[in-house]
Order: sequence, then C-alpha cells, then structure tokens
Amino acid sequence: MQRYLLSRVIQSIFLLFGVLVVVFFLVRLTGDPTSLMVAKEAPAEQREAFREAMGFNRPLPIQFLDFAGDILRGDFGNSLHFRQPALDLILERLPATFYLATTALLFAIVIAVPIGIIGGSNPGSAMDSLGRALGLLGQTIPNFWLALILILIFAVNLGWFPSFGRDSAISVVLPAVALGFGSMGQLVRLTRSAVLEIRNEDYIRTARSKGISQFKIGARHVFRNASLALVSVISIQYSYLLGGSIYIETIFSWPGLGNLLQQAVDGRDFPLVQAIAFFISFFVIALTLLTDVAYALIDPRIRYSS
Amino acid sequence: MKRIFVLLSMSLALGLIAACGAAQPETVTVVETVVVKEEVKVVETVEVEKKVVETVEVEKKVVETVEVQAPDKPKGELIVSLSTFPNSIYMPNAAERNASNVANQIFEGLTWVNDDGEIVPALAESWEISEDGTEYTFKLRQGVLFHDGTPFTAKDVVASWEAGKDPSNAYAYNAEKAKSVEVIDDYTVKMTTEAPDPLFLRSTLSKDWAMIPAHYYEEVGLEGIEKHPIGTGPFKFVEWVKGDRISLEAFEDYWDEGLPKVAKLTFRPIPEESTRIAAVQTGEIHIANRLPADEAQRLLGAENVKVVRYPSDRVYYISFNNLTSGKGTPIEDKLVRQAFNYAIDRQAIIDALFNGYADLSTGFMTPGNLGYNASLEPYPYDPEKAKELLAEAGYPDGFEIGFACPTGAYTNFEQVCEAVGGYLNDIGITFEGGEIQFMESGKYWDLEANKELPPLFGDSWSTTDGEALNRLEGALGADASYAAWNTSELQDYIDKISSTVDDEARAKLYSELHQLMYDDPPFVYLYEPNTFEAINTAVQNYKPRAAEDYFLKEVFLAGAE
Repeated sequence: MQRYLLSRVIQSIFLLFGVLVVVFFLVRLTGDPTSLMVAKEAPAEQREAFREAMGFNRPLPIQFLDFAGDILRGDFGNSLHFRQPALDLILERLPATFYLATTALLFAIVIAVPIGIIGGSNPGSAMDSLGRALGLLGQTIPNFWLALILILIFAVNLGWFPSFGRDSAISVVLPAVALGFGSMGQLVRLTRSAVLEIRNEDYIRTARSKGISQFKIGARHVFRNASLALVSVISIQYSYLLGGSIYIETIFSWPGLGNLLQQAVDGRDFPLVQAIAFFISFFVIALTLLTDVAYALIDPRIRYSS
Repeated sequence: MKRIFVLLSMSLALGLIAACGAAQPETVTVVETVVVKEEVKVVETVEVEKKVVETVEVEKKVVETVEVQAPDKPKGELIVSLSTFPNSIYMPNAAERNASNVANQIFEGLTWVNDDGEIVPALAESWEISEDGTEYTFKLRQGVLFHDGTPFTAKDVVASWEAGKDPSNAYAYNAEKAKSVEVIDDYTVKMTTEAPDPLFLRSTLSKDWAMIPAHYYEEVGLEGIEKHPIGTGPFKFVEWVKGDRISLEAFEDYWDEGLPKVAKLTFRPIPEESTRIAAVQTGEIHIANRLPADEAQRLLGAENVKVVRYPSDRVYYISFNNLTSGKGTPIEDKLVRQAFNYAIDRQAIIDALFNGYADLSTGFMTPGNLGYNASLEPYPYDPEKAKELLAEAGYPDGFEIGFACPTGAYTNFEQVCEAVGGYLNDIGITFEGGEIQFMESGKYWDLEANKELPPLFGDSWSTTDGEALNRLEGALGADASYAAWNTSELQDYIDKISSTVDDEARAKLYSELHQLMYDDPPFVYLYEPNTFEAINTAVQNYKPRAAEDYFLKEVFLAGAE
C-alpha cells in the first residue's frame, strides 16, 4: 500500500510539473503582452523598459526556470493588470469557486442518483425514460447556452432569481444548475447503467431466491455496489466543476476564480493565468490522488493490480 | 492514464482559450448567415430608427421636467455595470475606461472638459498661460474639502503630482508631463512643461491627474490610497468587494452645491454582455455599458429600458506601410492609395456587419474632433474610377501585395478584412500567399510595433481627448511605435499641432491636415463604430459622451425615495 501511495504521489508531482510546462509555453505562444500593457502612444524606449522590467526579453527556458523556482518558494508573481500578487487575488476568489462547484455537484447528485437508481431498477418505466432523457440532455446541452436560457427564463421573465452576482443566498441557484447540469446527465447515466448491470449479477439472483424483499435488495446489494462506481465518477465530476466554471462564472459574473481567469486570459495577464492554471490543476490532481487512495483502501483489487 | 488525458486536455483547453483570447475591447459576435441577416435587417433598421427618435423625445421630455423631478437632496441608489474588473480606482493607475470611470466619481482634476468639449474650471477657478505656452499659473477654488474633511490647497496639488509620478502607476507618464509644480501661496500654483503641450489643460489636468490630500499621501502612501481612495469628487469611497462591487456614497460637503443627486452609487462588474442586458431588464442595474449592436436591439421592445446609441471616437482603417515592407511597392503611389479608397463599398460592409450602425470615415479627424473638416465627403464606392486610377498609375492589371489583419481584437473585424480583400480582388489586387494573413491580435500588435507587418494591414485607433492628436502621433510619423507611414509634410503638421497651444490655430492646422490626408491618403479609411448602452428609464439627466467617460454627479433616479 505504501509503495502504491508513493508511486501515485510521485506521478502526481510529475503531472503537475507537466501542466506547468504546457501552460507556461502555450500562454507565451501568443506573443508578449507589452503591446497590451503599455499605452499604444508610449514611445519605443518605454516599451523596451517594460519588457526589461518584466523580464520578457530573456530566453524562454530561463524565464521558465525562474518561474518554477519562484513557485517552489510560494511566489506566483504579480498580476500585470492588477499589479498585486497573483496568489492574493486567487485566495480572494477561491471560496466563491468552491462554493459554486460544491453546490453544483450536490444539485447533480441529489437529482441524478435517485432517478438513476429508480430508472435502472425499472428499465422501460416512465422514470427510466426521464432518466435517459436527462442523461442525454445533460451531456449534449452546452452549459453556457443553458446559462443564458436560465437567465432569460428565471431572471428576466419570471424574476425569481437574480441574473448575476452573489448578492443573496438564492444567487447560487442558476449558476449551480447551469454548471451542474452536465454532471447530472453523466451521473444519471452511470447510476442507471451500474444498477442495471448489478441487477443481473448472480448474487442478486441468489438474494432474490432467498426471498429478500425488493427494497432490501436495492438498498443492501444494488446501491452499495453501485456506489463504488459512483464515488470515482463523482470525484472526477467535482474536478471538472472546479476547473470548468470559467464560462459559467463569467456569464453570471460570479466572483470566483473562473471569472478572474477569463479576464486574465483576455488581457494576456501571464502571471495570473499561470497561477490560476496551477491552482486548478493542483486541485484536480489532488482530488484524483485522494480518490485513488480512498479507492485502493476500499477495494484491494486496485492496489494489488498496480 | 485516462485522468492524465483529462488533465492534459484541460490544460490544453486553457491554453487554447489563451491563444484565442487577447484584448477584446469590443465583443466579437457570431455572424448569422447572410440570407437571414438581410431578411431581418430591414425590419430592424426601421424599428431602431424609430426607437432612436423616441429616445430623443424621451430625453427632451426629461429635460423639461428635470426641475420638477430632481430631488433636493441625494436620493436612491444608482447601479452601473462595468465590463471588466478594474485593476485600480486611483486615477493614475486606472488601466482602462471601466476603472477610470469609477475614479472619475471620486477624484477631480484642476480642469474639466464639459459635454460640449470645452475646457472649464473644476478645482482651479482660473488660469494664465505664459507667452511661450510652457508656464501655467492656476488660481485654486476656495472652500473645497476632501472626503476626510481637510481643505484642498496648493500643497495638495504638489503631492498629487508626486504621487502620480510614482513609477508603480500605470500612467505615471501623465504626471511627468509637468516638469515642475510649485506652491505660490495657499491657493496659487505654478506649473511648467518641457515644451508647449496642447493637451495639458484638456487631458492631463482634467482627467489624468487625481487631486489627493497631501497629508494622507504622507501617512499611508500609494498603497493606502489604492485601498481607500480619498479625493474631492462628488462621491466618496465606501468599499470594494473584489470581483463583486465597488460602493460609493454621496459626499455631502461637495463644493458644487446641490450635487450629487443620488445617495449611493454602485459599480458592478459584469463581463458578459448578455448578462448586462438581462440585468438592466430585471432592474438589477441601471446602466449597461458596452453592448454590441445586435444585442442592444434585443432590448427595443423591453419595458423600462431605453437603448442609447452614440458615435465613438475610433477610426478603423487599412494602413499602408511606406516605412518598411511597403517600400518600393506600388502603394507608394498616391493614385494607387486613392484607388484603394474608391474600390471598397464600405456602406455595404457597415450594413451587413454592423446593422448599419457605424459612420463612414473621412480620415483621422472624426465629427466631434477639434478642426474636423466638414467639407470632406467619404470616398464613394466607385470601382471603375479605382481601375482607372490604377491604370493611370501604371497597373492596369493590378498587382500582388501582402495584407494582414488581426483576429479576436475588434468586433467583426475579420469579416471586414475579408470583405475589403474581396473588393480589392475586384480591381485586380491579389495577395501574397494567395490570401489575407490573419494573426492572433497579441502577436499582430507585436509585429506592428516592430514594423514587421506587410504593406497593407488593418487596425483601429481611438482617442478620448476630443481631438485627434494621439491618433495622429500614434499611427503616423517616423518615431511612433505603431506608425507605418510617414512623409515630411505629415510630420511637419504633426509637429506644429503638438506644439500649438492656441485652440483656434490648432483647429486650422487639423483642418488642413484632414484635407491633406484625404487627398493623399496614408490609409484606407473604413468606419467609425457606434457605442450602445441600455439604461433604465428611471435614470434621468444621463448624458453619454463619445469617450465613454462617465461623470454621474448630475444623474438622478425618477421616483427615488
């Protein structure tokens, strides 16, 4: 178990490093941000001075080493636009992003799991059709489109919810639904198919032949076994929600990290883009690692086969 | 392995967003198919025209009823959207319009440019300019208080200059335009500039400097001012919840009596324009700024919302390059450049891509600019004439030349370039490499600054001073970073304009230069776009300005309690 844990941690560190390399060089493919940061009227010397001060005139590998070294010391550099440490800006915005992603995930689970179980247990029923429809819609409707439609219907036409911001407790509802809808679709589908599959297992037939009630079979055997599959999917979905809220946060002007990232990308605010990408990747990787470890603890097959 | 893939694809996605990102001062909107657009166009145009007329009428009515409705003391909360997250609301560090629009309410300068474009007294009551145009003596207004209750005097002007010059400010160079600032007595200040600077009163002292209390700057430094700005403006700072709102409230001891008229002023950043439109419909905000034309038109039937349209001081153009890549090519010939201006049906482009809401450009001076030469008509669409001119220049069958345009920078600009390319093809011009070179805007501007773009390239330039000097100095001449074209005659004009402080004399120079740049065009002039805003009908006395700069002290809300 220790060996497994160690190898996963080392893998994760390499992965994080890989993400850093990719982000660092991809961001720089778009040229240096001098033309955006310095007024167009500014004389050439001032542009050069800015480049010099920001270190953009040095060779890329050296810039990267500096960047990686600074990160090890916990220094993510200053945002070019905000002229503040990128880390401070991120910490300001982080809670809102976690709150939104968590709410979205809860929404997805609360809707998806019961429908998936009932539908999977009664294939062909009305609930099953509903589940399959939700699964299909959830996976095909683009969330930014859904976001706009939700605003149009529930904020503009009905006036039930605010159209943007995080002013009151109900502000989270529309963004969470828009963000969690895709995950909900995924979860409905997976719960349903897991339940369907388990229903045909030998141990279910055995349980049935022993005369155990349908409800007890469902609760003790089907759901328990299905939940094993769900745990890993849910954790992947959570990391999607944390990292994938860029458009949703922007549309709802939700004061989170995704909204900040959108503007940082627009303005080619390198240090901020890098720092946010690092943080999001860090959470995703950490979440994956935790899930793997938890999984290995629950299911011995995993830790032995790897 | 699957997870590694997931992560890599995520970071790839991040990178891709980065790649297509770059500043989009205006929004890029998806163009519908031509057929649909044409069907819709007529209806929309008619409606909008009607609506604009209605809007004007509504505003007239408002003017008549202002005296009746305006509250005797500040009332209600005015909520205004911002399309980006401001970096700072301390004026010398406020990076773009959204940020400076918040700063405009908190801080004031010595002068102000009123809605008619005239320089009027603000914190200075009067001034004298020396014969050579480099020495200014200001009499300061007495009885002005800062938000912390201390009186505004001459030493505060010096401190504000010093604070503004701090190199950590994004716009430190604005304060550096004054060589010295001296206290003569408590209410008299003398300033000198290196050379005569026609924009010093109009721009530098009206909108670029923020007067701050000297004692406060000494105590808390720039960092403290950034955190809690204190000025003399009509509104004082309350709080800034990052990413969510900036709250201001009426300053009850404001020197201009009876102002401001709203008790609270709140700015809400909403980057997505569809959401700004939704929020103004629900009444969550009162003013939705920077809307694309087609989105704004969705609001035409909406209750409680009126759409405001005004020309913006930005010129879109295709630049010729005679400094580097265009040397020795046919575009050096004036007839060829005239031919290009005749060859393009710009009205058709405006109709198809901007629903007709843009004005044809006649040069670098726009209708509101000082010295705008109103006698000039936009080049008409005349492909026959264009071909004749080309033949006269010795290119009856056209020629091949390089042409580049930026992507992701301006609304529909890629399509504009495609259209321009098509019209040029019609008169026999072909492009190097067989097509227009489209480049991501960040990279494009780097190349432009290094003068490495091909002989023909598209771009745009705005100015916010009410005159074209920045645009001229930026896009023309031998020294400017982004310039690609220069002649000694043009350079002479620019030098003369930039050293003439007298407005009348400068206006005459602008007017002559306008004519010169029309006859011997360094650019294919395309269009000047319109700005759209949506405002709640409760908002009264709001006057949009071409530079999109907000001064909200006279705005009030009908029925505010």
